[in-house]
Amino acid sequence: MEIEEKSKLSFFGIVKWIIPVFLLTMSVMMILFTPAFQDSAFKLKSLFAGSSDSEIRTPDVIRKMESKSRRNISLIADKLDKLKPVKPYIVVNTTGNRFSLRDINGDTIRTGACSTGKNELLIAGNKRIVFKTPKGIFTVRNKQQNRPWVKPDWAYIEDGLPIPSARSADRIDYSTLGDYAMEIGDGYMLHGTLYQRFLGLPVTHGCVRLGDKDLEVIYNTLSKGSKVFIY
Amino acid sequence: MKSKIAFWILTIVSSIIVVYILVNTVVQPVFTKNPLPKVIVRTTGEKEKGGKGEIKPDEDTISPSEGSGNSKEAWSKFIENRKKEVLLQSRLTLANEDSMYLVLDLVKNVAILEIKGISLHECPIVKATISNSIKSYPSDGLLNWMAEPFSVKHIEATIPKIQFIEKIAPKDTLEANKMVVEPTLARLGDVCIVMDFDRNLRLVIGQSEQPDEEGAKLISALRKKYNKIEISRSINSLTKFNREPVKPQIEIVLPKSDATIFYKALPLNPRMILRM
Repeated sequence: MEIEEKSKLSFFGIVKWIIPVFLLTMSVMMILFTPAFQDSAFKLKSLFAGSSDSEIRTPDVIRKMESKSRRNISLIADKLDKLKPVKPYIVVNTTGNRFSLRDINGDTIRTGACSTGKNELLIAGNKRIVFKTPKGIFTVRNKQQNRPWVKPDWAYIEDGLPIPSARSADRIDYSTLGDYAMEIGDGYMLHGTLYQRFLGLPVTHGCVRLGDKDLEVIYNTLSKGSKVFIY
Repeated sequence: MKSKIAFWILTIVSSIIVVYILVNTVVQPVFTKNPLPKVIVRTTGEKEKGGKGEIKPDEDTISPSEGSGNSKEAWSKFIENRKKEVLLQSRLTLANEDSMYLVLDLVKNVAILEIKGISLHECPIVKATISNSIKSYPSDGLLNWMAEPFSVKHIEATIPKIQFIEKIAPKDTLEANKMVVEPTLARLGDVCIVMDFDRNLRLVIGQSEQPDEEGAKLISALRKKYNKIEISRSINSLTKFNREPVKPQIEIVLPKSDATIFYKALPLNPRMILRM
Protein backbone atom coordinates (compact mmCIF):
# COMPACT_ATOMS: atom_id res chain seq x y z
CA MET A 1 0.00 0.00 0.00
CA GLU A 2 2.75 2.38 0.96
CA ILE A 3 4.74 1.49 -2.14
CA GLU A 4 1.70 2.18 -4.31
CA GLU A 5 1.21 5.62 -2.74
CA LYS A 6 4.90 6.42 -3.13
CA SER A 7 4.88 5.51 -6.82
CA LYS A 8 1.71 7.58 -7.28
CA LEU A 9 3.41 10.56 -5.68
CA SER A 10 6.50 10.21 -7.82
CA PHE A 11 4.30 9.86 -10.92
CA PHE A 12 2.49 13.12 -10.14
CA GLY A 13 5.81 14.64 -9.14
CA ILE A 14 7.03 14.09 -12.67
CA VAL A 15 3.78 14.93 -14.41
CA LYS A 16 3.43 18.34 -12.73
CA TRP A 17 6.64 19.47 -14.45
CA ILE A 18 4.73 19.32 -17.70
CA ILE A 19 3.06 22.63 -16.74
CA PRO A 20 6.17 24.86 -16.77
CA VAL A 21 7.62 22.94 -19.70
CA PHE A 22 4.38 23.51 -21.63
CA LEU A 23 4.40 27.21 -20.74
CA LEU A 24 7.98 27.63 -21.88
CA THR A 25 7.26 25.74 -25.09
CA MET A 26 4.29 28.04 -25.69
CA SER A 27 6.55 31.08 -25.31
CA VAL A 28 8.94 29.73 -27.91
CA MET A 29 6.06 28.80 -30.22
CA MET A 30 4.60 32.30 -29.90
CA ILE A 31 7.86 33.81 -31.07
CA LEU A 32 8.35 31.29 -33.87
CA PHE A 33 4.79 31.44 -35.16
CA THR A 34 3.71 34.97 -34.28
CA PRO A 35 1.70 35.55 -37.50
CA ALA A 36 -0.38 32.42 -36.89
CA PHE A 37 -1.12 33.48 -33.30
CA GLN A 38 -1.96 36.99 -34.44
CA ASP A 39 -4.29 35.66 -37.10
CA SER A 40 -6.11 33.52 -34.55
CA ALA A 41 -6.32 36.54 -32.26
CA PHE A 42 -7.99 38.53 -35.03
CA LYS A 43 -10.53 35.75 -35.44
CA LEU A 44 -11.17 35.87 -31.72
CA LYS A 45 -11.40 39.65 -31.77
CA SER A 46 -13.97 39.57 -34.55
CA LEU A 47 -16.05 37.03 -32.63
CA PHE A 48 -16.29 39.40 -29.70
CA ALA A 49 -16.43 42.71 -31.52
CA GLY A 50 -18.32 41.51 -34.62
CA SER A 51 -17.31 42.67 -38.08
CA SER A 52 -20.13 45.11 -38.60
CA ASP A 53 -19.47 48.57 -39.91
CA SER A 54 -18.57 51.27 -37.52
CA GLU A 55 -21.86 53.10 -37.88
CA ILE A 56 -24.99 52.80 -39.94
CA ARG A 57 -26.47 55.87 -41.59
CA THR A 58 -30.09 56.84 -42.09
CA PRO A 59 -31.80 55.48 -45.23
CA ASP A 60 -31.97 58.97 -46.74
CA VAL A 61 -28.26 59.54 -46.39
CA ILE A 62 -27.53 56.10 -47.80
CA ARG A 63 -29.84 56.70 -50.77
CA LYS A 64 -28.08 59.98 -51.56
CA MET A 65 -24.68 58.38 -51.25
CA GLU A 66 -25.72 55.46 -53.42
CA SER A 67 -27.09 57.60 -56.21
CA LYS A 68 -23.88 59.64 -56.13
CA SER A 69 -21.88 56.44 -56.31
CA ARG A 70 -23.96 55.13 -59.23
CA ARG A 71 -23.42 58.40 -61.09
CA ASN A 72 -19.70 58.10 -60.53
CA ILE A 73 -19.65 54.50 -61.75
CA SER A 74 -21.19 55.44 -65.09
CA LEU A 75 -18.88 58.44 -65.36
CA ILE A 76 -15.75 56.37 -64.77
CA ALA A 77 -16.98 53.57 -67.03
CA ASP A 78 -17.42 56.11 -69.83
CA LYS A 79 -13.91 57.38 -69.30
CA LEU A 80 -12.50 53.85 -69.36
CA ASP A 81 -14.42 53.13 -72.55
CA LYS A 82 -12.80 56.11 -74.19
CA LEU A 83 -9.38 54.62 -73.48
CA LYS A 84 -10.18 51.41 -75.36
CA PRO A 85 -8.55 50.94 -78.77
CA VAL A 86 -10.67 52.20 -81.63
CA LYS A 87 -9.19 49.69 -84.06
CA PRO A 88 -8.58 45.94 -83.83
CA TYR A 89 -5.39 45.19 -81.95
CA ILE A 90 -2.95 42.40 -81.24
CA VAL A 91 -1.67 41.14 -77.89
CA VAL A 92 1.66 39.29 -77.83
CA ASN A 93 2.73 37.07 -74.94
CA THR A 94 6.52 36.84 -74.96
CA THR A 95 6.70 34.23 -72.19
CA GLY A 96 4.38 31.77 -73.89
CA ASN A 97 5.18 32.94 -77.45
CA ARG A 98 1.52 33.27 -78.32
CA PHE A 99 -0.49 36.03 -79.91
CA SER A 100 -4.14 37.02 -79.75
CA LEU A 101 -5.75 39.20 -82.38
CA ARG A 102 -8.77 41.06 -81.02
CA ASP A 103 -11.54 43.27 -82.35
CA ILE A 104 -12.52 46.63 -80.86
CA ASN A 105 -14.79 44.93 -78.32
CA GLY A 106 -11.87 42.88 -77.05
CA ASP A 107 -13.22 39.66 -78.56
CA THR A 108 -10.60 37.30 -79.91
CA ILE A 109 -10.49 36.96 -83.67
CA ARG A 110 -7.54 34.63 -83.88
CA THR A 111 -4.90 33.17 -81.62
CA GLY A 112 -1.76 31.25 -82.45
CA ALA A 113 1.92 30.67 -81.92
CA CYS A 114 4.55 33.27 -82.65
CA SER A 115 8.24 33.69 -81.96
CA THR A 116 9.65 36.49 -79.87
CA GLY A 117 13.08 37.62 -78.67
CA LYS A 118 15.56 34.99 -77.53
CA ASN A 119 16.86 37.12 -74.63
CA GLU A 120 20.45 36.84 -75.68
CA LEU A 121 23.37 39.15 -75.07
CA LEU A 122 25.83 39.03 -77.95
CA ILE A 123 29.28 40.24 -76.97
CA ALA A 124 31.48 41.44 -79.80
CA GLY A 125 34.56 43.18 -78.45
CA ASN A 126 33.29 46.30 -76.72
CA LYS A 127 29.87 45.98 -78.28
CA ARG A 128 27.01 44.41 -76.37
CA ILE A 129 23.93 43.65 -78.42
CA VAL A 130 20.71 42.62 -76.70
CA PHE A 131 18.19 40.46 -78.52
CA LYS A 132 14.88 40.82 -76.72
CA THR A 133 11.35 41.84 -77.53
CA PRO A 134 10.39 45.06 -75.80
CA LYS A 135 7.26 45.09 -73.65
CA GLY A 136 4.54 47.71 -73.58
CA ILE A 137 2.21 49.47 -76.00
CA PHE A 138 3.22 50.00 -79.60
CA THR A 139 1.47 51.27 -82.71
CA VAL A 140 1.55 49.89 -86.23
CA ARG A 141 3.45 52.65 -88.02
CA ASN A 142 3.77 51.15 -91.44
CA LYS A 143 2.53 48.12 -93.37
CA GLN A 144 4.33 46.64 -96.31
CA GLN A 145 4.08 43.58 -98.52
CA ASN A 146 7.21 41.69 -99.57
CA ARG A 147 9.32 44.08 -97.62
CA PRO A 148 13.06 43.61 -98.10
CA TRP A 149 15.15 43.46 -94.96
CA VAL A 150 18.19 45.68 -94.73
CA LYS A 151 20.47 43.55 -92.61
CA PRO A 152 21.94 45.43 -89.67
CA ASP A 153 25.52 44.97 -88.42
CA TRP A 154 24.54 42.41 -85.79
CA ALA A 155 23.30 40.01 -88.45
CA TYR A 156 26.86 39.80 -89.77
CA ILE A 157 28.48 39.77 -86.34
CA GLU A 158 26.27 36.88 -85.27
CA ASP A 159 27.19 34.86 -88.37
CA GLY A 160 30.89 35.63 -88.09
CA LEU A 161 30.83 37.48 -91.42
CA PRO A 162 32.65 40.70 -92.33
CA ILE A 163 30.39 43.74 -92.04
CA PRO A 164 29.75 45.37 -95.41
CA SER A 165 29.48 49.13 -95.88
CA ALA A 166 26.27 50.80 -94.70
CA ARG A 167 24.89 51.24 -98.22
CA SER A 168 26.08 47.94 -99.60
CA ALA A 169 23.54 46.04 -101.72
CA ASP A 170 24.66 42.87 -99.93
CA ARG A 171 22.68 43.99 -96.94
CA ILE A 172 19.36 43.65 -98.69
CA ASP A 173 17.55 40.38 -98.09
CA TYR A 174 14.27 39.69 -99.91
CA SER A 175 13.11 36.51 -98.23
CA THR A 176 13.60 36.70 -94.45
CA LEU A 177 10.62 38.89 -93.52
CA GLY A 178 8.02 36.83 -95.38
CA ASP A 179 5.05 38.19 -97.31
CA TYR A 180 4.02 40.96 -94.94
CA ALA A 181 5.68 43.20 -92.39
CA MET A 182 4.29 45.75 -89.96
CA GLU A 183 6.66 48.22 -88.31
CA ILE A 184 6.00 49.04 -84.67
CA GLY A 185 8.91 51.43 -84.07
CA ASP A 186 12.58 51.32 -83.08
CA GLY A 187 13.26 48.81 -85.86
CA TYR A 188 10.91 46.19 -84.40
CA MET A 189 8.36 44.52 -86.66
CA LEU A 190 5.67 41.89 -86.87
CA HIS A 191 6.67 39.80 -89.85
CA GLY A 192 6.78 36.34 -91.39
CA THR A 193 9.50 33.75 -91.14
CA LEU A 194 11.35 31.10 -93.07
CA TYR A 195 11.58 29.06 -89.88
CA GLN A 196 7.93 28.09 -89.32
CA ARG A 197 9.02 25.09 -87.20
CA PHE A 198 10.39 27.47 -84.57
CA LEU A 199 7.04 29.18 -84.01
CA GLY A 200 6.22 29.04 -80.31
CA LEU A 201 9.88 29.32 -79.36
CA PRO A 202 11.86 32.40 -78.36
CA VAL A 203 14.31 32.63 -81.26
CA THR A 204 14.11 36.13 -82.72
CA HIS A 205 16.33 39.14 -82.40
CA GLY A 206 13.44 41.18 -80.99
CA CYS A 207 10.83 41.19 -83.75
CA VAL A 208 7.67 39.12 -83.55
CA ARG A 209 7.64 36.35 -86.14
CA LEU A 210 4.32 34.89 -87.23
CA GLY A 211 3.17 31.93 -89.29
CA ASP A 212 2.13 32.60 -92.91
CA LYS A 213 -1.63 32.15 -92.45
CA ASP A 214 -1.72 34.09 -89.18
CA LEU A 215 0.38 36.85 -90.66
CA GLU A 216 -2.00 37.28 -93.57
CA VAL A 217 -5.04 37.59 -91.27
CA ILE A 218 -3.21 39.98 -88.95
CA TYR A 219 -1.97 42.08 -91.86
CA ASN A 220 -5.49 42.35 -93.25
CA THR A 221 -7.05 43.12 -89.86
CA LEU A 222 -4.61 45.64 -88.45
CA SER A 223 -4.19 49.00 -90.03
CA LYS A 224 -1.83 51.90 -89.55
CA GLY A 225 -2.41 53.17 -86.00
CA SER A 226 -3.57 49.80 -84.62
CA LYS A 227 -2.25 49.01 -81.18
CA VAL A 228 0.22 46.24 -80.43
CA PHE A 229 0.38 45.17 -76.78
CA ILE A 230 3.43 43.13 -75.85
CA TYR A 231 3.82 41.54 -72.41
CA MET B 1 10.24 20.44 -0.43
CA LYS B 2 13.05 21.85 -2.54
CA SER B 3 11.52 20.43 -5.69
CA LYS B 4 8.15 21.91 -4.76
CA ILE B 5 9.66 25.38 -4.44
CA ALA B 6 11.56 24.93 -7.69
CA PHE B 7 8.35 23.81 -9.40
CA TRP B 8 6.41 26.86 -8.24
CA ILE B 9 9.19 29.28 -9.12
CA LEU B 10 9.54 27.80 -12.58
CA THR B 11 5.79 27.76 -13.13
CA ILE B 12 5.37 31.38 -12.06
CA VAL B 13 8.36 32.56 -14.11
CA SER B 14 7.24 30.70 -17.22
CA SER B 15 3.69 32.03 -16.78
CA ILE B 16 5.03 35.57 -16.61
CA ILE B 17 7.12 34.91 -19.73
CA VAL B 18 4.12 33.54 -21.62
CA VAL B 19 1.94 36.49 -20.65
CA TYR B 20 4.70 38.97 -21.51
CA ILE B 21 5.26 37.43 -24.93
CA LEU B 22 1.53 37.10 -25.55
CA VAL B 23 0.88 40.73 -24.73
CA ASN B 24 3.85 41.99 -26.70
CA THR B 25 3.60 39.97 -29.86
CA VAL B 26 -0.10 39.21 -30.10
CA VAL B 27 -2.42 41.25 -27.88
CA GLN B 28 -0.80 44.65 -28.35
CA PRO B 29 -0.49 44.61 -32.16
CA VAL B 30 -3.87 42.93 -32.67
CA PHE B 31 -5.95 44.97 -30.27
CA THR B 32 -4.28 48.36 -30.33
CA LYS B 33 -2.89 48.80 -33.84
CA ASN B 34 -4.70 49.19 -37.11
CA PRO B 35 -3.29 46.75 -39.68
CA LEU B 36 -5.03 48.41 -42.63
CA PRO B 37 -4.15 52.10 -42.92
CA LYS B 38 -6.72 53.97 -44.96
CA VAL B 39 -6.31 56.15 -48.00
CA ILE B 40 -8.49 59.06 -48.98
CA VAL B 41 -11.17 57.86 -51.34
CA ARG B 42 -11.53 60.14 -54.30
CA THR B 43 -14.53 60.05 -56.57
CA THR B 44 -14.34 61.04 -60.21
CA GLY B 45 -17.04 63.69 -60.09
CA GLU B 46 -15.40 65.46 -57.21
CA LYS B 47 -11.96 65.19 -58.72
CA GLU B 48 -13.28 67.01 -61.78
CA LYS B 49 -14.99 69.69 -59.70
CA GLY B 50 -12.01 70.32 -57.48
CA GLY B 51 -9.68 70.66 -60.44
CA LYS B 52 -5.96 69.87 -60.35
CA GLY B 53 -6.64 66.88 -58.13
CA GLU B 54 -7.86 69.05 -55.23
CA ILE B 55 -10.12 67.07 -52.95
CA LYS B 56 -12.09 67.83 -49.85
CA PRO B 57 -11.39 65.04 -47.41
CA ASP B 58 -14.59 65.43 -45.40
CA GLU B 59 -16.65 64.92 -48.54
CA ASP B 60 -14.58 62.16 -50.01
CA THR B 61 -13.59 60.00 -47.14
CA ILE B 62 -15.95 57.33 -46.03
CA SER B 63 -16.07 57.84 -42.32
CA PRO B 64 -18.82 57.05 -39.87
CA SER B 65 -20.25 60.45 -39.17
CA GLU B 66 -23.57 60.94 -40.83
CA GLY B 67 -26.22 59.82 -38.35
CA SER B 68 -27.35 56.30 -37.68
CA GLY B 69 -30.31 54.05 -38.29
CA ASN B 70 -31.25 50.44 -38.86
CA SER B 71 -30.71 50.22 -42.61
CA LYS B 72 -27.97 47.62 -42.54
CA GLU B 73 -29.07 46.05 -45.81
CA ALA B 74 -29.13 49.33 -47.71
CA TRP B 75 -25.75 50.14 -46.25
CA SER B 76 -24.18 46.89 -47.36
CA LYS B 77 -25.69 47.39 -50.82
CA PHE B 78 -24.18 50.85 -50.91
CA ILE B 79 -20.81 49.44 -49.83
CA GLU B 80 -20.96 46.94 -52.70
CA ASN B 81 -21.65 49.81 -55.07
CA ARG B 82 -18.77 51.78 -53.64
CA LYS B 83 -16.50 48.79 -54.09
CA LYS B 84 -17.40 48.75 -57.78
CA GLU B 85 -16.77 52.49 -57.99
CA VAL B 86 -13.44 52.22 -56.23
CA LEU B 87 -12.37 49.37 -58.54
CA LEU B 88 -13.27 51.37 -61.62
CA GLN B 89 -11.62 54.48 -60.26
CA SER B 90 -8.40 52.55 -59.58
CA ARG B 91 -8.55 51.06 -63.06
CA LEU B 92 -8.95 54.52 -64.53
CA THR B 93 -6.06 55.88 -62.49
CA LEU B 94 -3.74 53.14 -63.72
CA ALA B 95 -5.14 53.15 -67.25
CA ASN B 96 -3.93 56.72 -67.57
CA GLU B 97 -0.38 55.46 -67.09
CA ASP B 98 1.69 53.40 -69.53
CA SER B 99 2.62 50.55 -67.19
CA MET B 100 1.18 47.10 -66.83
CA TYR B 101 -0.57 46.38 -63.57
CA LEU B 102 -2.18 43.50 -61.76
CA VAL B 103 -5.86 43.27 -60.95
CA LEU B 104 -6.61 40.77 -58.22
CA ASP B 105 -10.31 40.06 -58.21
CA LEU B 106 -11.01 37.88 -55.20
CA VAL B 107 -14.75 38.06 -55.84
CA LYS B 108 -14.55 36.40 -59.26
CA ASN B 109 -11.32 34.61 -58.33
CA VAL B 110 -9.31 35.84 -61.26
CA ALA B 111 -5.96 37.53 -61.65
CA ILE B 112 -5.69 39.89 -64.59
CA LEU B 113 -2.71 41.56 -66.20
CA GLU B 114 -3.85 44.87 -67.62
CA ILE B 115 -2.54 47.88 -69.43
CA LYS B 116 -4.62 50.94 -70.32
CA GLY B 117 -7.72 49.14 -69.11
CA ILE B 118 -7.12 46.30 -71.60
CA SER B 119 -6.91 42.79 -70.20
CA LEU B 120 -3.74 41.23 -71.59
CA HIS B 121 -3.71 38.00 -69.64
CA GLU B 122 -6.27 36.48 -67.34
CA CYS B 123 -6.09 33.36 -65.22
CA PRO B 124 -8.22 31.73 -62.53
CA ILE B 125 -7.01 31.84 -58.95
CA VAL B 126 -6.78 28.22 -57.87
CA LYS B 127 -6.80 29.04 -54.17
CA ALA B 128 -6.81 32.22 -52.13
CA THR B 129 -6.06 32.53 -48.44
CA ILE B 130 -6.79 35.84 -46.77
CA SER B 131 -5.58 36.82 -43.30
CA ASN B 132 -8.20 37.20 -40.59
CA SER B 133 -6.91 40.74 -40.10
CA ILE B 134 -8.44 41.55 -43.51
CA LYS B 135 -11.45 39.24 -43.37
CA SER B 136 -12.62 40.49 -40.00
CA TYR B 137 -12.21 44.16 -40.81
CA PRO B 138 -15.38 46.28 -41.14
CA SER B 139 -16.32 46.72 -44.80
CA ASP B 140 -16.21 50.53 -44.74
CA GLY B 141 -12.71 50.43 -43.30
CA LEU B 142 -11.71 47.82 -45.83
CA LEU B 143 -13.01 50.04 -48.60
CA ASN B 144 -10.91 52.91 -47.35
CA TRP B 145 -7.89 50.63 -47.28
CA MET B 146 -8.18 49.40 -50.86
CA ALA B 147 -9.56 52.61 -52.32
CA GLU B 148 -6.49 53.28 -54.41
CA PRO B 149 -4.05 51.04 -56.25
CA PHE B 150 -1.37 49.43 -54.11
CA SER B 151 2.28 50.05 -55.01
CA VAL B 152 4.99 47.45 -54.49
CA LYS B 153 7.70 48.43 -52.05
CA HIS B 154 9.66 45.22 -52.20
CA ILE B 155 9.42 42.17 -54.40
CA GLU B 156 11.24 38.87 -54.30
CA ALA B 157 10.81 35.69 -56.29
CA THR B 158 12.35 32.32 -56.94
CA ILE B 159 12.59 33.00 -60.67
CA PRO B 160 14.55 35.72 -62.45
CA LYS B 161 12.65 38.64 -63.92
CA ILE B 162 14.65 38.40 -67.10
CA GLN B 163 17.48 36.07 -67.96
CA PHE B 164 19.95 36.72 -70.73
CA ILE B 165 22.12 34.08 -72.30
CA GLU B 166 25.54 35.56 -72.94
CA LYS B 167 27.18 34.68 -76.24
CA ILE B 168 30.59 35.71 -77.53
CA ALA B 169 30.44 36.70 -81.19
CA PRO B 170 32.08 34.10 -83.48
CA LYS B 171 35.29 35.00 -85.25
CA ASP B 172 34.27 33.41 -88.55
CA THR B 173 31.51 31.43 -90.22
CA LEU B 174 33.06 28.14 -89.18
CA GLU B 175 32.83 29.09 -85.52
CA ALA B 176 29.36 30.51 -86.09
CA ASN B 177 28.17 27.20 -87.56
CA LYS B 178 29.56 25.34 -84.56
CA MET B 179 27.63 27.63 -82.22
CA VAL B 180 24.28 26.94 -83.84
CA VAL B 181 22.03 24.98 -81.51
CA GLU B 182 18.51 23.76 -82.09
CA PRO B 183 16.23 26.04 -80.06
CA THR B 184 14.12 24.41 -77.38
CA LEU B 185 11.44 25.62 -75.04
CA ALA B 186 13.02 26.94 -71.86
CA ARG B 187 12.11 25.03 -68.69
CA LEU B 188 9.88 27.04 -66.37
CA GLY B 189 11.34 27.38 -62.91
CA ASP B 190 9.16 26.78 -59.84
CA VAL B 191 7.51 29.98 -58.72
CA CYS B 192 6.97 31.69 -55.42
CA ILE B 193 6.65 35.47 -55.40
CA VAL B 194 6.45 37.68 -52.33
CA MET B 195 5.29 41.25 -52.87
CA ASP B 196 5.27 43.77 -50.04
CA PHE B 197 2.94 46.62 -50.91
CA ASP B 198 2.35 49.96 -49.31
CA ARG B 199 -0.48 50.12 -46.78
CA ASN B 200 1.04 47.11 -45.04
CA LEU B 201 -0.15 44.42 -47.47
CA ARG B 202 1.81 41.31 -48.35
CA LEU B 203 0.86 39.26 -51.40
CA VAL B 204 2.31 35.80 -51.82
CA ILE B 205 1.86 34.07 -55.17
CA GLY B 206 2.47 30.35 -55.24
CA GLN B 207 2.12 27.72 -57.93
CA SER B 208 -0.51 25.00 -58.09
CA GLU B 209 1.90 22.40 -59.46
CA GLN B 210 4.14 20.36 -57.21
CA PRO B 211 7.67 21.82 -57.40
CA ASP B 212 10.66 19.66 -58.25
CA GLU B 213 13.41 19.08 -55.70
CA GLU B 214 15.42 22.16 -56.62
CA GLY B 215 12.32 24.36 -56.85
CA ALA B 216 11.04 23.15 -53.49
CA LYS B 217 14.35 24.14 -51.91
CA LEU B 218 14.18 27.63 -53.43
CA ILE B 219 10.58 28.12 -52.36
CA SER B 220 11.25 26.94 -48.84
CA ALA B 221 14.33 29.20 -48.60
CA LEU B 222 12.25 32.20 -49.62
CA ARG B 223 9.49 31.40 -47.15
CA LYS B 224 12.01 30.76 -44.39
CA LYS B 225 13.59 34.15 -45.05
CA TYR B 226 10.28 35.89 -44.44
CA ASN B 227 9.59 33.74 -41.37
CA LYS B 228 12.95 34.78 -39.96
CA ILE B 229 12.02 38.43 -40.47
CA GLU B 230 8.82 37.86 -38.48
CA ILE B 231 10.73 36.08 -35.72
CA SER B 232 13.23 38.91 -35.45
CA ARG B 233 10.34 41.42 -35.36
CA SER B 234 8.84 39.45 -32.47
CA ILE B 235 12.13 39.28 -30.58
CA ASN B 236 12.71 43.01 -31.10
CA SER B 237 9.26 43.78 -29.81
CA LEU B 238 10.09 42.02 -26.54
CA THR B 239 12.75 44.58 -25.79
CA LYS B 240 11.02 47.64 -27.21
CA PHE B 241 7.47 46.83 -26.17
CA ASN B 242 6.30 48.28 -29.46
CA ARG B 243 5.63 45.73 -32.14
CA GLU B 244 4.69 46.98 -35.61
CA PRO B 245 1.10 46.40 -36.71
CA VAL B 246 0.21 42.94 -37.98
CA LYS B 247 1.08 42.41 -41.65
CA PRO B 248 -2.09 41.33 -43.44
CA GLN B 249 -1.36 38.71 -46.05
CA ILE B 250 -3.13 37.44 -49.12
CA GLU B 251 -1.78 34.22 -50.52
CA ILE B 252 -2.94 33.08 -53.93
CA VAL B 253 -2.13 29.98 -55.91
CA LEU B 254 -1.93 30.22 -59.69
CA PRO B 255 -0.88 27.79 -62.39
CA LYS B 256 2.91 27.97 -62.72
CA SER B 257 2.88 29.27 -66.29
CA ASP B 258 0.49 32.11 -65.40
CA ALA B 259 2.44 33.10 -62.29
CA THR B 260 5.59 33.25 -64.44
CA ILE B 261 3.85 35.35 -67.07
CA PHE B 262 2.63 37.84 -64.47
CA TYR B 263 6.00 38.15 -62.80
CA LYS B 264 7.92 38.59 -66.04
CA ALA B 265 5.44 41.02 -67.55
CA LEU B 266 4.96 43.33 -64.57
CA PRO B 267 7.36 46.27 -64.25
CA LEU B 268 9.96 46.42 -61.48
CA ASN B 269 7.68 48.37 -59.15
CA PRO B 270 4.28 47.12 -60.16
CA ARG B 271 0.95 48.37 -58.94
CA MET B 272 -2.07 46.33 -58.05
CA ILE B 273 -5.79 46.79 -57.76
CA LEU B 274 -7.55 44.65 -55.21
CA ARG B 275 -11.19 43.64 -55.30
CA MET B 276 -12.72 41.61 -52.53
